Amino acid sequence: MGVIALDRLEVRLGGRTVLNGLTGELRGHAVGLLGPNGAGKSTLINTLLGFHEPAGGSAKVLGLDARTDRMRIRQSVGYMPENDSFIGNMSGVRFVRYMAELSGLPPAAALERAHEALFYVGLGEVRYRKISTYSLGMKQLIKLAQALAHGPKLLILDEPTNGLDPTARQRMVQLIKEIRKEGSMHMLISSHLLRDIDETCDEVLILNKGRIAAISNIEEERRSHRNFIEMEMTGNTEAFTTKMQAMGCECARFAGGRVKVVMPDALSQRDLYVTAAEAGAEIRRIQTRRDSLEDIFLRAMEYEGGRVEHVSLPA
Amino acid sequence: MSVFQHDYRPYEGPTTALWKRPLVLARYGLAEAWGSKITIGLAVLALLPCIVDMVLMYLADNPLAKMLVMGGGNKILEINERFFFGMLETQCWFALVLAAWIAPRLISFDLGDNALPILLSHPVSRFGYVLGKFIALTVSLSYVTWIPLLVLFVYQCYSSPVPWGMGHLGIAFGLFFGAAVWIVVLSLIGLAVASWVKWRVIATGAMFAVIFVPAGIGGIASAILRTKWGLLLNVPVVMSELWQRLVGAPDVFRGKVDLPNGAIVGVLIAASLMCVAVLNARIRAREVVRG
Repeated sequence: MGVIALDRLEVRLGGRTVLNGLTGELRGHAVGLLGPNGAGKSTLINTLLGFHEPAGGSAKVLGLDARTDRMRIRQSVGYMPENDSFIGNMSGVRFVRYMAELSGLPPAAALERAHEALFYVGLGEVRYRKISTYSLGMKQLIKLAQALAHGPKLLILDEPTNGLDPTARQRMVQLIKEIRKEGSMHMLISSHLLRDIDETCDEVLILNKGRIAAISNIEEERRSHRNFIEMEMTGNTEAFTTKMQAMGCECARFAGGRVKVVMPDALSQRDLYVTAAEAGAEIRRIQTRRDSLEDIFLRAMEYEGGRVEHVSLPA
Repeated sequence: MSVFQHDYRPYEGPTTALWKRPLVLARYGLAEAWGSKITIGLAVLALLPCIVDMVLMYLADNPLAKMLVMGGGNKILEINERFFFGMLETQCWFALVLAAWIAPRLISFDLGDNALPILLSHPVSRFGYVLGKFIALTVSLSYVTWIPLLVLFVYQCYSSPVPWGMGHLGIAFGLFFGAAVWIVVLSLIGLAVASWVKWRVIATGAMFAVIFVPAGIGGIASAILRTKWGLLLNVPVVMSELWQRLVGAPDVFRGKVDLPNGAIVGVLIAASLMCVAVLNARIRAREVVRG
């Protein structure tokens, strides 16, 4: 059973179709939710939490229907919203305890877990201070603490590194990695920062204009160790890429003479030089590197079709 | 997680029943409401008339004390429906002051800090959220309305030299239901206003405005159109009529007002439904912008 299963999910808000026919199943331990602003990431999260009613299709979280089992989903989920969301005149420990009690923990257990969660995220020393006096990074961490306190099966983090300075961001990413490593809960992490997702997730769902642009298993992509060749060229790069494509390569040209090539096993780097010479192009710089999330993302963004595509770059 | 090791550990203990979650909100709401010294001050102030009334009851029921203090004049010290009606009115208007102070504390903090998405992401529905806050407010208002009034009623039953209680049970029912109707309406108005106006001070002022501005408009309408129906917008008059009838006190307004029971009930239901509609519109985890 997947952590999240979408079946032709459609969500309409304010007369607009925000999510359009999403279908797919996410099984990863830490799933990244990527997409440009307005792609529908937060709407998808809100729908999974039952804040928005699907206009069509269905969404399942941990096997529970988002339309009919809202309470059971919320019982099993810890949610860290993107924007500021807390009760400023409460102390940190009281706020986390309050949220834990709302999730069903008895008062004594909630208090114990609140203390533990605050120490875990690094707010132990300031837990008796009012939240309104916290810095932005602390406010992000207290949102994470309240999402963790009741021991959810799925942790939904909406832009967890939003507004954090590099140190605080690193601390947040490290925490997410630790939670993932601990292994008792799944995570859905929404972000528009590829680096955050790349560092923390093993599967990624890419949304674009309310549709699924790609679902990709980053872990498998990493394991495949495919080498890509990135070059800086001068001369007739168009003829070069045409020739390379004819030889079975996948090519992409970018501004400034940058060319990316994925070669079949039968070809070697020497063939690049030969083909470049034949095409009247010059290779000024050549670099081999592994497939990255950025490539997956860019390919997905270029894709304008309506069906789900499992993106993986050809071997 | 453990404080000592700073590691995460999943929770495997028991959880409370879903229906108890609004009670968590109510408990924290009560703590929030009564954590203010101003709330305590208002509540103490609201109980002062009860103490005065208790002294009056003592004097009325104790011939020796009455003779010493009042010199035998007993007209103003008759403990009857009229006496309890006056008490009910006094306590209910204190309840308005208390509601105007407490209701914004219950909701405005959540709205001001945008806490609704995080609160409603837990297993509590929008209805459960409003119910929790409603319970907190009605319990707070009960403290200054029907609870002290019924205590005084019981005291009167106890201290009266003649059997009094059984013959006046209607007063007890009137006190309870009159106060209950008022605190329910007041709680709904308070929560609706607090959900609409995020600033606490403004919300407190708006609470009084919601009660008294329509009364003025109703009075003007009545005067211009020469009709009694404008008084239906006058909550103080409407509630006085209702309390008077419930307690069984002699008519104070009859002849001047004489609003039918159905109209009074209809106005209160309409006001409550409007408040529910406002709460339904405002208490949401996410706002949807049209267009």
